[in-house]
Amino acid sequence: MAVETKTEKDKDSASLYRPVFCRIVRISDLTPTEKLFRIEMPEGRDLNQKPGQFVQVSILGLGEAPISVSSSPTRRGYFELGVRNAGALTNALHQLKVGDEVGIRGPFGTFFDVEKFKGKDMLLISGGCGLAPMRSLIQYCEDRRGEFGKTFVIYGAKAPADVLYKDELEIWQGSDIFETHVTVDNIPQGTCYDGHVGLITTLIPPLEIEPEKSIAVVVGPPVMYRFVIMELKKKGIREEQIVVSLERYMKCGVGKCGHCTIEHLYCCLDGPVFWFNEISNLRGAI
Amino acid sequence: MKSLTITEIEQFLKSVEPEFDLRVPIRLHDGTRSLGGLNEGPLSLMGGKIPLKPTSVFFPQTERVFTRESDGEIKMEKPGEKPILVVGYTAEDADCLEFIDKFFSENFRDDLYFQKRDGSVIMVVSGKCGPDGGFLKIAGGKCDLELICDGERFIAQAYTEKGRQLEKKMKASKEVGDIDSLKKMSDELPDDDLKTIQKASELILAEKVPDAFWVEIGDRCIACTSCNYACPTCTCFEVYDRVHDGTTVRERMWDSCQLDGFMREASGHNPMGTEDIRTRRRIHHKLAADVTRWGHLTCYLCGRCDDACPTNIGIKSVSRMIVERYSQANEK
Repeated sequence: MAVETKTEKDKDSASLYRPVFCRIVRISDLTPTEKLFRIEMPEGRDLNQKPGQFVQVSILGLGEAPISVSSSPTRRGYFELGVRNAGALTNALHQLKVGDEVGIRGPFGTFFDVEKFKGKDMLLISGGCGLAPMRSLIQYCEDRRGEFGKTFVIYGAKAPADVLYKDELEIWQGSDIFETHVTVDNIPQGTCYDGHVGLITTLIPPLEIEPEKSIAVVVGPPVMYRFVIMELKKKGIREEQIVVSLERYMKCGVGKCGHCTIEHLYCCLDGPVFWFNEISNLRGAI
Repeated sequence: MKSLTITEIEQFLKSVEPEFDLRVPIRLHDGTRSLGGLNEGPLSLMGGKIPLKPTSVFFPQTERVFTRESDGEIKMEKPGEKPILVVGYTAEDADCLEFIDKFFSENFRDDLYFQKRDGSVIMVVSGKCGPDGGFLKIAGGKCDLELICDGERFIAQAYTEKGRQLEKKMKASKEVGDIDSLKKMSDELPDDDLKTIQKASELILAEKVPDAFWVEIGDRCIACTSCNYACPTCTCFEVYDRVHDGTTVRERMWDSCQLDGFMREASGHNPMGTEDIRTRRRIHHKLAADVTRWGHLTCYLCGRCDDACPTNIGIKSVSRMIVERYSQANEK
């Protein structure tokens, strides 16, 4: 087949699978294994994502991986990705420097439907890396204060060293917008930590909530959902008041490659954000 | 209607070769049949379905997504200079193509697929030209033109404007009045397999098939992946990059849900980490998940997975087992 060279004009719109090259403008260490990348689109454009969506990140020569956007669309001019060094591509991403470029396709997927959350009390519950996509919603609530009712930020990590966005958690803890609770599963010997210790499920029973006017958003590792949702139900929150964001292996991000199916749903297309009652009876969903 | 000999069809194909990228049934040196160009082997219209995935014409086993050369510019693939003309699909293959057209166009339009598919022409071959003289179902549509074999000659039936234009170019030594008797034979073909997969679908959707069944079937799977790679409606793919002399090439390649790594995430979490879940998924996808998503089965009974499977767990075979064991009539 002949090969066509695209002009600059049609560079970004030609193909579903064509990445747009974007510049890394800031890199921050979150933990020894997680970094936060601030990225700018070409020509100062916005990504135009919604909270909870993801992008396909390309490093040419290694491929693509789906990464949740961890900044709110209310923060213009850039977007941020919190990335754990977990595989070949994310390892290479961690080696990049400010000024380097990455390929971006997206944003893709469903999002936290903030229009439906307006006026509701919000329980934003995340575990481990789940705080990365959740941060996009927390920032959104922060920037649109007054649109939502009482908002709880509930976060659990394995150990103090694994806690993400420590600086922001401190800000949220001191903020009058949020009631923030953080826990760690355990404290390794020799670690200095005076916060709450216990599984994330231990943070839910003491919360003073009005279940009828609440929405719970849950993002975390697969093992977390069942137990957190059990605790939420004990508090009187029904399945149709719970939103989850699920992680799956996605190669295309557009519902074609088939790697992220959950029964009849495509996590990249119909998700990653689902109302829990839509997936609770689907085998393998959580 | 024009009635053509195989020689006349070959002459017709040669006459349109300058206009089209031809993919016609040919016989290879080893005796098997495949889709290829007229110069790649003798035309082989008799014998029924092509063993390989027929939709690979538009969704090939590997295809280039883009190239990035050392100058940093990304170069996308350009469509072929000539539209593709496929001869030799069966009626079932035309059904499969209709479905994957829908699949690749829904929500996001897959430009890699449609740069091959747009402008293409499909000719189904049917009638008395199946394996061992068997009768192949008449499509009656879902293609541009159909060549219906009466045992000796092929009667051309056009269904679209593109098909009619091509039919005009066919030089036939004979005309026939109708094909009613052949249509009647097609209508009278047994539909036992269809009834079986429909019943199996109902049983899976009604949760009548226990997990123990999938463990048993999964134990028989040797993960050879031939079922997925032969299936015309299997569309899963992997994407990978290759680097050579400063040039990066991104390609996509068929993938198989029967492989352990198909869904494994970088974290190690694997939603399909056992053989029984993967085997269930393969069958469930066509007979239940797609019924929920698309409103219909996405197995069209071409039979390729049953032909290819070395352990006899193709979709027809598994469906028969499901119906035999779990339908109410057979429950003990």
